[in-house]
Amino acid sequence: MMNIDPAALAQIPGLIRCEEFDREALAEHITEMTHTVYPHDQVYGRYCTIHAHIDCPPEEVFAYMANPLSLMEWTYSVRELQPTTKPDLYRGVDSGRTPIYCKTIAQRDALTVDYHCAWDQGDELWMVYLNRIVPAETVLKQPGSVVIWTNCRHPYYARNPFPELNRDPHREWVGDWWPLFYAGHSIELSNLKTILEYRQRHASPVGPRIREV
Amino acid sequence: MTRQDLSLLGVASYLPERVVTNDFFAPGTATRRGMFTAPTTRRHVSPDETAVELIQRASARLFERLDLNAARDVDLLLTNVAIPDQAFTGCGAEVAHRIGAHPRWIIDLHNSGCVAFIYMMDLARSLLKANDARGALLCNVQNAAGRVFSATGVRLQSQAPVPGDGCGVGYVALSDVSPVLSIVRRCQPEFASDMVACADDGRRYWEPGASPISIRFTEARVASIIERGNQIVPQVVTEACREAALCPQDIELLITNQPNPIFLRNWREALELPKERHHDTFDQYGNLFGAAIPINLDDGLAHGKLAHGGILALGGFSHAGDYAAAAILRWSPP
Repeated sequence: MMNIDPAALAQIPGLIRCEEFDREALAEHITEMTHTVYPHDQVYGRYCTIHAHIDCPPEEVFAYMANPLSLMEWTYSVRELQPTTKPDLYRGVDSGRTPIYCKTIAQRDALTVDYHCAWDQGDELWMVYLNRIVPAETVLKQPGSVVIWTNCRHPYYARNPFPELNRDPHREWVGDWWPLFYAGHSIELSNLKTILEYRQRHASPVGPRIREV
Repeated sequence: MTRQDLSLLGVASYLPERVVTNDFFAPGTATRRGMFTAPTTRRHVSPDETAVELIQRASARLFERLDLNAARDVDLLLTNVAIPDQAFTGCGAEVAHRIGAHPRWIIDLHNSGCVAFIYMMDLARSLLKANDARGALLCNVQNAAGRVFSATGVRLQSQAPVPGDGCGVGYVALSDVSPVLSIVRRCQPEFASDMVACADDGRRYWEPGASPISIRFTEARVASIIERGNQIVPQVVTEACREAALCPQDIELLITNQPNPIFLRNWREALELPKERHHDTFDQYGNLFGAAIPINLDDGLAHGKLAHGGILALGGFSHAGDYAAAAILRWSPP
């Protein structure tokens, strides 16, 4: 039988493990931690995680999300994505005129699709959209996929690190929208779900539908 | 003819004299947190102190305050007693006799626990209106602390320090002066069996034996009871506000039952009310079960927490969530 060396943990303060915290002590702690309501900022202030069930097989959701051009379908405002001279880096426009750069890093085995993005420049991609696709059969005992999407509040959200690259004096900084990320991202995740489920229902390829212009 | 509303004209309370401190219970009681946070003190009824006597003392204060005449003004007498003095007769008739009332109706309620005061208000409204009657005396007694949780073998349990005894009474009448604007009641019968009175050896309370009877939640249900309690009270208070065409932020004074400080915190957070607008006596009197609402109201009024004409909200849930209720009142008694 394998076991841990208790001495290795004894010197680490702040752990809550059953050896030192009995059920009653744990109950006190978890009851205090559990509130009826939580302020928005406490839930979405530093991390913004949303999730949805999509009635579409995980492999197909992965294939769709791993194609960066799909972003032009399901995001609210990322458009005109074109390859750049750098490998896997695309350039497009966000909200009409802001240049946005995006590199998609997808791991087929792990079913993760991460979008590393930035406004105005493609050298430091700090707006990172982490997505994990989970087979719903495994976690919900139903067909389809669960998509879990997390953003972390990078310090650049608070302040544009490259203000000299912005040519639009009236533009609002992307980070000023952080308090609305839960809502905004939920809308986009709903777009993703709606598109994939529609195509699934109509037995057509998941897409994206791209045409050369 | 103008439609007369139900008005709550006044409340009064009586607390048993015996003050019990935390050293009476298990070691470590004072530092316990969570659901079984212990109050600093609580009152216990003495073995020979009856529910009838508690009601008699509290109503004497109420009658004096409101200048009521029991024989003339009490058409309806409602009681709710946690541990009745006698196993199968209610105490209402004896109360009527002691206070000199001749009510047309006496009802000893044994349900709705911690929201019995609101439940009785609603019942009084129906009965008074249907019978063209004048006023009702509502009596809540919590005496399980002294009668159950002080017993040897029970007092060392972690939940034993939480309850405290007390009696709260209220007088309602058909009148427009201090109107009840809305009452919301919910019954969730599926939760009725999640709280039990039992002995450790499985003895039922009516069976002979020496093992002490205790009142507890079924263990597997604790997490879901916390969730129910967290949600249901803000829900019924919000619903009662909506029925009264108000919003929770209009509440000048919120009075609830007080199972523990966690629920109190969660309810006022959910209703977005500051602590000073939610009055409780938990640290002094503990969990007063059904008596909490009239006692806390009496205490809150004594502390000047509610101006004349202010919006008063009453709310709570009982047992493991089988009943929940809330009422909104405009507090303007004569």
